[in-house]
Amino acid sequence: MIRRLGLVWLTALIALMYLPILSVILASLSTSRYMRFPHRQWSTGAYVDAVSQDQTWILHATSFKIAALVAVLSLILATFGAMAFARYDWRGRSWFQKAVVLPIFFPQPVLGLALLLFLTAIGVTPSWRSAVFAHMVWILPIVTLVISIRLFGYDPAQEDAARDLGATRWQTFREVTLPHLAPGMVSGGLFAFLLSWSNLPLSIFTTGADTTLPEYMFTRVATNYAPVISAIAVIATLGSVALGLVLLLALRLRRRS
Amino acid sequence: MPDTGADAPPALSLSGLSRSFGDTRALDDVSLDIREGEFFTVVGPSGSGKTTLLRILAGLDRPTAGTLHLRGRDIAGLPPNKRPTAMVFQSLALFDHRSVGENVAFALKMRGVGAEARRTKALELLDLVRLPRDYHDRPVTQCSGGERQRVALARALASDPEILFFDEPLSALDYRLRKTLEVELRDLQKRTGRTFVYITHSLEEAMVMSDRIGIMRDGRLVQVGDPATIYGRPRDRFVARFMGEVNVFEIAGGRLPAFDAPAPAQDGWLIVRPEALAPDAGDVQFDATVTDIYRLGSRVQMHLDTAAGTLIAELPASTRLAEGDAARFGFAVADTHRVAE
Repeated sequence: MIRRLGLVWLTALIALMYLPILSVILASLSTSRYMRFPHRQWSTGAYVDAVSQDQTWILHATSFKIAALVAVLSLILATFGAMAFARYDWRGRSWFQKAVVLPIFFPQPVLGLALLLFLTAIGVTPSWRSAVFAHMVWILPIVTLVISIRLFGYDPAQEDAARDLGATRWQTFREVTLPHLAPGMVSGGLFAFLLSWSNLPLSIFTTGADTTLPEYMFTRVATNYAPVISAIAVIATLGSVALGLVLLLALRLRRRS
Repeated sequence: MPDTGADAPPALSLSGLSRSFGDTRALDDVSLDIREGEFFTVVGPSGSGKTTLLRILAGLDRPTAGTLHLRGRDIAGLPPNKRPTAMVFQSLALFDHRSVGENVAFALKMRGVGAEARRTKALELLDLVRLPRDYHDRPVTQCSGGERQRVALARALASDPEILFFDEPLSALDYRLRKTLEVELRDLQKRTGRTFVYITHSLEEAMVMSDRIGIMRDGRLVQVGDPATIYGRPRDRFVARFMGEVNVFEIAGGRLPAFDAPAPAQDGWLIVRPEALAPDAGDVQFDATVTDIYRLGSRVQMHLDTAAGTLIAELPASTRLAEGDAARFGFAVADTHRVAE
């Protein structure tokens, strides 16, 4: 009985989590600009519109550019940041540990506004490039923490052992440190990409004339909704799902070899 | 020990080695020659600087002063990867994302040895450390404590080092396994004829395996000698106490105030090993009450309440004395050892 209740609870939970996504898919299959259900007329016309208009792809390109750059740059900086955070003992480390995680506690709209004011003050015109910077202020700490977790419970004597057995500093990093960090780096990079891909509050303040997917959806839903918006949303979601699947597949292939 | 001739330079020659961390001197003016093919053990309590010493010998740390020669060649400036030495770490430091074979053959890979040759050599080394050959492809994380020890040993041997360093590698193992590996290690050292430098805080371990022992205290090497000398003729009270339980009596004005008996020297301290004490024996005798008895197998250790305080005696297990018994105990001055400090 308890078992069955648990199953019901689990099913309900999953259904509630995925229902909003389902409703977006349903909304994209309508012809009406008013959200009403059931539809009077089912149609895939919104998808035809979405795929054929350049704007869909410009939005994707902008969001992808930002997310990819944020992921790559965060990964590099966070890897070294994590080493400083968890691996080496140095004067000022505890100060660094606190400073690194601080941006996470800032409400994102406040952070976005602060960054906009800062960019204006130093004379930078906001564009997708400044959004990369803004996203990183918030995402880099998260990636640093994700990679740091790999370093707790890591025996640094392994690096001494590698050196002792004839490895140069670079070989030690490549053969010992990097393979140990790799799982953390994969999840950290994935996190960075997805957090940037779906970010709205920071983008609103810092992209200037450029528009990301979440920004576009937000403004269009607020002011000028049409089913094509939902269609674009579904396409964008499929994009991130595809990315996740490709990574999973790559990991599985690697493990097998 | 291989005969290397009187003129052969020592395997390792340390002269005035010091290492400071801020104001603390972890290593203080250590000079020592380690002979070719010798099993040399450095013993000391934790914090005595023995790990610092070993790290400097391996090149993982730099001395702040002093010189270091390997077979006459100055190696003080060489990084660890350029030194013909290998170390077995306290934590073993196995590469936990690799297989047993990959761990063992790591040094060969770094030298650019091909995969086939690496495998052949790794299998030979597994034989040498008595691990089954089919362990080659097993993840190290699936090995037991004793097996991991053997993997670490094989990995260090793979680089064909002139000297092997050991940083208390057996300290985490249970008693029986430790005993087995101590004997095997000693045996391996004899078979390979290599120089082993071993550090430990366990006197017992040092006594079983070593040709010579060096005792460290507060960053200094206080005494170097073979196990019998260190045990029988300790340099001072610290070494004597470190080498096992002892009774120490002050000597003043040529007498032992504790027993009001004549002493073999004017001043200093008299070291009396527990096995030197016996009932109704020796030239210095005193009244004692047995307070505690600990059975050690073939021998028993007992605590004696005497006018000179609590003393420790060790007798054959056949003794009839029981807790609470009063007896007259004594020792022969000839069986004691006098130290100045």
